[in-house]
Amino acid sequence: MTEIPVMVRADNVHKSFGSLEVLKGVDLTVASGEVACVLGPSGSGKSTFLRCINHLEKINAGRIEVDGDLVGYRERGGKLHEMGERDVARQRQSIGMVFQRFNLFPHMTVLQNVMEAPCRVKRENKAEVRDRSRALLERVGLSDKVDNYPGQLSGGQQQRVAIARALAMRPKLMLFDEPTSALDPELVGEVLDVMKDLAREGMTMIVVTHEIGFAREVADNVVFMDGGVVVEQGPPNEIIANPQQERTKAFLSKVL
Amino acid sequence: MTDQQTTERARPEPIKAVPVRHPGRWVAIVVLAVLTAMFLHMLLTNEGFRWSFIFVSYEEGKRGVMFTEPVLEGLRGTLLLTVFSMLIGVVLGVVVAIMRLSPNKILSSVAWLYTWFFRAAPRLVLAVVFGNLNVLWSRVGFGLPFDKQIGALFGIDNFNGQIWSIESKDLLAGFVAAMLALGLSEAAYMAEIVRAGIQSIDEGQPEAAVALGMSRGQVLRRIVLPQAMRVIVPPTGNEVIAMLKDTSVVAFVPVTAELFFQLRAVSARTFVVLPVLIAALIWYLILCSILMVGQYFLERHFGKGYGAAGRARMRLQTIQAEQGGVGAGGAGLGGTT
Repeated sequence: MTEIPVMVRADNVHKSFGSLEVLKGVDLTVASGEVACVLGPSGSGKSTFLRCINHLEKINAGRIEVDGDLVGYRERGGKLHEMGERDVARQRQSIGMVFQRFNLFPHMTVLQNVMEAPCRVKRENKAEVRDRSRALLERVGLSDKVDNYPGQLSGGQQQRVAIARALAMRPKLMLFDEPTSALDPELVGEVLDVMKDLAREGMTMIVVTHEIGFAREVADNVVFMDGGVVVEQGPPNEIIANPQQERTKAFLSKVL
Repeated sequence: MTDQQTTERARPEPIKAVPVRHPGRWVAIVVLAVLTAMFLHMLLTNEGFRWSFIFVSYEEGKRGVMFTEPVLEGLRGTLLLTVFSMLIGVVLGVVVAIMRLSPNKILSSVAWLYTWFFRAAPRLVLAVVFGNLNVLWSRVGFGLPFDKQIGALFGIDNFNGQIWSIESKDLLAGFVAAMLALGLSEAAYMAEIVRAGIQSIDEGQPEAAVALGMSRGQVLRRIVLPQAMRVIVPPTGNEVIAMLKDTSVVAFVPVTAELFFQLRAVSARTFVVLPVLIAALIWYLILCSILMVGQYFLERHFGKGYGAAGRARMRLQTIQAEQGGVGAGGAGLGGTT
């Protein structure tokens, strides 16, 4: 068990927006290759926590490590030094993120969306990136849409492009922030299918979701958050089928 | 079941109804037609316009006033002034807008101060002030600040820290003064336009770009500004057109190589006033019409991916999708639902 390397380690993470404390000491460990699904009522801080992992939000206390590196700070002589913009950007390169509202770049075609970051950020060879991007788009079932603009695609198709865009940077960790919440019900399945494939291939994933079915099927670890803390976590058949905490029971009884 | 029903039932006759009448429209058309005829009658029969003076020949052996050498020279000056002032305005405007949106309080206040000043100062006044700035300094240059004072501190008389300088008479004569006055003033307006453009971009856009590891500069250049252009271009087109017309105020700097100045010079010489002004009006109408065509094409370019045409296409796509078009795309994944 202990031999599996740890990808994400969050230790007593606190985050406040002004006087509102959103995260009140979150602890979470995600092993390499593991899929963690974070469930919880809205306002429980799960999206905020996800955004802290790639430093879109600065945490106020505690620490987050990704693949052994402290996120957003550098430790030197027992003191924390804030990272410069460039170093933070470099850390983010290996962490893919998929947003609830897709956030594709509307002025670029699907292919350009996927190629943008590898070409501009990593300065990789353009022809090679193009081949890889086409392959990725084929993998998410969109090889016929490469030259379309995002505005011409359905929500499910846009979200699959967003996943391909994140994968094009060859991340070691993928963060999903309610990836199916903005979709019409009949389009949810196609996005979840892509995510299942990804999980099967061994990608480390943290998924904030309301799709209990997906969590039950795919997650190695289900994390239930409420009120800015992790209330309980464990394998899906324990947490979803047989929750121990009252708050978890109350939440699941509403969504199941 | 429903299929059978539709095949059995005959398609009803297309509706033939008496359309709603609009008598008010017809009255309006008649009134406008009469007014137009009256206006044309005045233009064509009133001797005061002296059309041949404008178009054919204004003096023995000379072309019409619109096409004489000095006026064409002035036209060139007006166009150059428009182009250069707008260049200064756009470049500086983008810089000021970015400063204004900076989290750094000092940068944003400086930008605010800049827009405050140059929006408050009327262009005509500004242009004349710039034309007279050489009263303040005989030479303008770059160099170490407080050079004389620092020199005195170390006991050196007349220590000169100037690196480069130029006679201000030469620098701020006519054209350059006018260009600076118009350009700096324009930058204030452009800054507001660019700021509105940048702020119109959804927050998720820079966020997604940053999450991919892009730097702030890259996000601005590749993601935010190209999208903001869609919002920035139409009002900028207005600004160009306004600028073309505002160049006429620099006749008071004075700038001699400028359309309005040249036409007024003709009227001062010939004592013909109204036809000369009409000639100026016609030139401004022609130039603005050309600019409007250019604006149309620019807007079309930056509307890529959305815009009116894009939206129409999207709507069509949605309809096709509802009728099973998207199903083909989804099926590529193998078994949705």
